[in-house]
Amino acid sequence: MPNALTLSLRPLVPWEASIAKRSTPAPGAEAPLARDLSAAEDAVLLGWAAEGDRRAFDALAGRHLPLLYRVALRVTGQPAEAEEVAQEAMLRLWQNAARFDPGRARLGTWLYRITANLAIDRVRRARFQPLATVAEAPDPAPGPEATLDARQRHALLAAALEELPPRQRAALALAYDQGLSGAEAAAALSVSTRALEGLLRRARRFLAARLRGEEE
Amino acid sequence: MRLDDFARLLDTHGAEPARWPPEAIPAARALLERSATARGLQAEARMLDAALRDSLPGPSPEALARMRAHVGRAVARMPVPPQAGRGGVLQWLRPWLPAGCGALVTLAACGFWLSRMPQPAPEEVLGAPRMLAMMETAE
Repeated sequence: MPNALTLSLRPLVPWEASIAKRSTPAPGAEAPLARDLSAAEDAVLLGWAAEGDRRAFDALAGRHLPLLYRVALRVTGQPAEAEEVAQEAMLRLWQNAARFDPGRARLGTWLYRITANLAIDRVRRARFQPLATVAEAPDPAPGPEATLDARQRHALLAAALEELPPRQRAALALAYDQGLSGAEAAAALSVSTRALEGLLRRARRFLAARLRGEEE
Repeated sequence: MRLDDFARLLDTHGAEPARWPPEAIPAARALLERSATARGLQAEARMLDAALRDSLPGPSPEALARMRAHVGRAVARMPVPPQAGRGGVLQWLRPWLPAGCGALVTLAACGFWLSRMPQPAPEEVLGAPRMLAMMETAE
């Protein structure tokens, strides 16, 4: 009759066998916990994340979330929506981490594209919702002193931005706020450089006219 | 460069010469030196640049921590990213295959398998009532 010790050890045997069968890292390979995440480039972090290293992905999120938030905030105009969009863009990156090829596209450009598209979709959906659920826009009609008062100018600009089509807002976000080159911003929005310049030109003319107190 | 070309440059690229296309900078600077109107246009564009810059706050530290924690929690629940190339031929075909085509293929395979199964002989099916009748008469 088997004693109690034998019985208690019996279930451990398969575990021991499975541990013994596990592959050990190659001599040159770096253990995940020994990786220097802060010094690693984006492409390296993404490569580690693709292997399942969630700490590497967290470091990547810490770098990119503030930038994605700003792009999303410019397009949606709503901080809560901007947070959700930035988070969603990062989760899409996790799902596609192994498929992303840094040789074909910059990670930042890819992330900006996803963020801009998500934010544009949200704005378009919000426009079809009943008016009660959409944030009330301030009155865009300027008074004579509006051009002098910084706070009023800020309100005027916010109202004018809200009237801009979402693609023009995204163009502003990428080209001015994030400082991308024309080619990069155009790639992120999937348009030609010429089309991007058209978006920027129309957006700036509209905003400048509103700040001057004119109707465009 | 004419004034309307310069206005177009400002509308597209903003007031900062560092953002202008390099080939346009000498002509734009020459125009700025000789034209007060051009300088006025640049000052107005500079105001818009500043207003745009001021109108976009970054996330607060709390918001950033909230987003990072949310992403971390979601990633912890998600599986490891699917590796490229593991799907073989299916991975390449997937974008062109309509939804539900896997179920359709399975259905067709089942149908084909059933049609190839050996059918019972007609006498086995039709013979059963005759056998019963013979047993009854024997009794």
